[in-house]
Amino acid sequence: MSPYFILVPILVPILAGVLLMTFPIQDYKTRAAAVETVVILNTILVFVLLLNRPAERLYLFSFVEGMPLTLNIDGMATFFGGLVAFLWPLATLYAFEYMRHEERVNTFLSFYTITYGVTLGVAFAGNIVTMYLFYEALTMVTLPLVIHTMTEEAQAATRKYLNYMIGGTAFAFIGIVFYSLFCTNIEFVLGGNLDVANLGEYANIALLVYVLAFFGFGVKAAVFPFHGWLPSASVAPTPVTALLHAVAVVKSGVFAIMRLTYFCFGADFLKGTWAQTVVVIAAMVTIVYASTLGVRENHFKRRLAYSTVSNLSYILLGVTMMSPAGLVAGLCHMFVHAIMKISGFFCAGAVMHQTNKNYVYELDGLGFAMPATFTALLISGLSLTGIPLFAGFVSKWSIVQALLEQPSIMGYVGVFVLLYSALMTGIYMLSINVRGWFSGGAAAKEANARFHDPSWLMLLPLAIFSVITVALGLNAQALLAFVQSIAAGTF
Amino acid sequence: MIALLIPVLMPIAVGVLLMVFPPRRKVMLAIVFAALALSLGLAVAVALQPEDTLRLTLGTVAEGLTFYFQVDAVGKLFSVLVAFVWLLAGLAAFEYMSHEHDEPRFYGFYLIVGGVLAALCYAGNLFTFYVFFELMTLTSAPLVMHELTHEAIMAGLKYLFYSVGGAFLSLFGLFLFTAQGTELTFTAGGVLDGATASGVTLLAVFLMILGFGTKAGMFPMHGWLPTAHPVAPAPASAVLSGVITKAGVLGILRTVYYIAGPELIRGTWVQYLWIVLTLITVFMGSMLAYRENVLKKRLAYSTVSQVSYVLFGLSLLQPVAFVGALLHVVFHSLVKNGLFLSAGAIICKTGKTRVDELKGIGKEMPVVLWCFTLAGVTLVGIPPTSAFVSKWYLATGALATGIPVVSWLGPVVLLVSALLTAGYLLTVSIAGFLPGSDYDYAALEKHEPTWQMLVPIVALTALAVLLGVWPGGLTALLTGVASSVL
Repeated sequence: MSPYFILVPILVPILAGVLLMTFPIQDYKTRAAAVETVVILNTILVFVLLLNRPAERLYLFSFVEGMPLTLNIDGMATFFGGLVAFLWPLATLYAFEYMRHEERVNTFLSFYTITYGVTLGVAFAGNIVTMYLFYEALTMVTLPLVIHTMTEEAQAATRKYLNYMIGGTAFAFIGIVFYSLFCTNIEFVLGGNLDVANLGEYANIALLVYVLAFFGFGVKAAVFPFHGWLPSASVAPTPVTALLHAVAVVKSGVFAIMRLTYFCFGADFLKGTWAQTVVVIAAMVTIVYASTLGVRENHFKRRLAYSTVSNLSYILLGVTMMSPAGLVAGLCHMFVHAIMKISGFFCAGAVMHQTNKNYVYELDGLGFAMPATFTALLISGLSLTGIPLFAGFVSKWSIVQALLEQPSIMGYVGVFVLLYSALMTGIYMLSINVRGWFSGGAAAKEANARFHDPSWLMLLPLAIFSVITVALGLNAQALLAFVQSIAAGTF
Repeated sequence: MIALLIPVLMPIAVGVLLMVFPPRRKVMLAIVFAALALSLGLAVAVALQPEDTLRLTLGTVAEGLTFYFQVDAVGKLFSVLVAFVWLLAGLAAFEYMSHEHDEPRFYGFYLIVGGVLAALCYAGNLFTFYVFFELMTLTSAPLVMHELTHEAIMAGLKYLFYSVGGAFLSLFGLFLFTAQGTELTFTAGGVLDGATASGVTLLAVFLMILGFGTKAGMFPMHGWLPTAHPVAPAPASAVLSGVITKAGVLGILRTVYYIAGPELIRGTWVQYLWIVLTLITVFMGSMLAYRENVLKKRLAYSTVSQVSYVLFGLSLLQPVAFVGALLHVVFHSLVKNGLFLSAGAIICKTGKTRVDELKGIGKEMPVVLWCFTLAGVTLVGIPPTSAFVSKWYLATGALATGIPVVSWLGPVVLLVSALLTAGYLLTVSIAGFLPGSDYDYAALEKHEPTWQMLVPIVALTALAVLLGVWPGGLTALLTGVASSVL
């Protein structure tokens, strides 16, 4: 297939979004049909593209000498692009129902669709400059989504969001500039392109640059101490928190770190250096800190947001092992967390949408009123906790295998960090389920009798995610084999 | 042999169906009884098969995570014990639960836990065991929370978090040993290579003991037990205390004797610390039970103490003590279920929950209190009842180990604890039968429960007493197991 075809799935949603903004559709059904058609079509395009990958990379043009814009589809791009393309139509479906009674739905859906294209841009970027471009664009197009409700709280959250993102990209930019000086070739190559032989005395500078860029891209991945924006941003409508703040935006951050680590600087160069120690410790601190705060948090969506913060660092903990097994673990958890967390957020959204309840302590006895939603929440919660038979256990398992590959104090500490976090996750997720099904007794059951499960538009995505979570928990060999081939560079 | 799944899946399926389509009460009770009786039949049928036919590989989740079942003598013993006690406690529930709400949910989860426990007994490797261990926690939590009061929910959460936390401690071992490349199939004598064992390996074994020990109420992870067991309805308290704590014992047994191997930890800090923890638990549990006034709580503390008798026996890594420990698993299970069901009968019929209210209860419910007394005598360990036999083995085993201090301190602690046991159980009987001269005989009313409760109580008590007179078959079986693992 011609390399120019890579541009199509990036541009279609962007154009469609701009069109919808220019020519708003007032009728709910027509709008829903139009948007969903575009999104599904684009997803089909993505999968056609991924199954018939162009052999060479697409060179667009250069900003300046040595800073070309290129697109390329390798194993990583296939993985992230495929994940995004799979989730987007389902989340859009959910968004129709959720946003039904909101204002400015056209604007919302426009930006929502544009984000799809931009995220694919991050996935398909062929070098770090291109990725940086789409990465910045992602911040900009998601801003209107965070601020959508226009309440004071939303405005404050958006300001925070913007400040963090701009700060982060500044660091990332420093990293890119130095990297372009240190590398032989700026394109992504598994194993890295760093000109190690000629680094000489600059080796430590290169490591410092890596650490700066790690934290720069780490802002989107919510690495402590740059995680603060994520819990605040959960004021956004649930389709945004679920898809963008559990998958597209935050996973772009993680994806960028994977690219930076394995495809720019190279895992071998970083392994065993002080830079690795710094980033591993950052990941561990984030996990412990965020999962502890998750227990304290009473706001349903913010609690899930803290859970996302800690789970993103599970991925990073795998990634920072600087080994193929680490990349496998990171990719595996990236997929699994996407599925189970989007499911968790959709449940929270369904509860908010049906009952206007935002806090965990309001959920007493809701399980019987909304059995389908709470069953999905139970599955998502058990999976997040890492109970076997659910997908979360498998990805945690592969992280631990990466940690323990070689005996090291860091590895053992990492395992205990994960186990501690698993217990905290158990506490903050299972207590929600216990409230839903057991608390409050007959009185709460009666008070909640007027509530019921949302319509199929919301339930269908939940059902699909729950089935995947259980299926992966029973047999994850295909997924693992796939990510192993990506990490080995054979895909 | 795929048929191995029937005793697991049958009760689970029936339990789920009961909750989804709750039938009329009479039909429901008939179904529950049939399912429980069938479970016992199946467990016995499996136990009668030769061991080498009872193997089943079910599929692989990921490399190193395979579902595998194999039934050995220990699995057979535990599974038959579980199914038997489950049937009797279930029968007693028919009357007890008639005054309660949400019966379908109770029986539903009761049956599901029964199925999960069967799988736990049949698990053939550490991963499979771990899976069903977690499932057991999750499916038994609804039994703890059944009353739906604030107290019950809080107790349920405490139960959940302690158990899940404990299970995660044990998970470290599963992680570490697999990463070291060991295949963790349960094999008598252990699979770990003792020669290359490092400090981390020992730490992992200790964490597994501590983690599984959480379920068995071993100090310092015992805190949930006296909170969670008493809030459940009495039949559920009975099986929680009498059977589910034994799942923790089974976990430790599998870890030490079938994964790590006794030689790996013999003489290390792991063994000594473990012994110390069990002795502390034995004494502390009895002491707390002695000071406790609420009857069911007193019985729960007693469980804390008694299950650690078993763990003490296991921790000595000595064949005689091993036999004593497993005998005590069986005897304590029978006794504690008998005691809890008696307490349940008292609560159900008179509403009295505190020990100081039980003056003269023996006049109102003579059969129940006789059973309570006999079970109490058994637990104290007065010959010729069964617990005398198990304690005798435990004490002689301890004396034979030759470990300094422990070899004499162990039996002393067991004796002191036995005295305390007499203090906290037999005093109930004394006040119950001999209320004193100020007791108002004119107002006496008979409160004896119906046969549905009496049959299980009498059967459990009779068995607990009589097994002490004829322990031969059981002892021979367990001696065989002991010689295979030690």
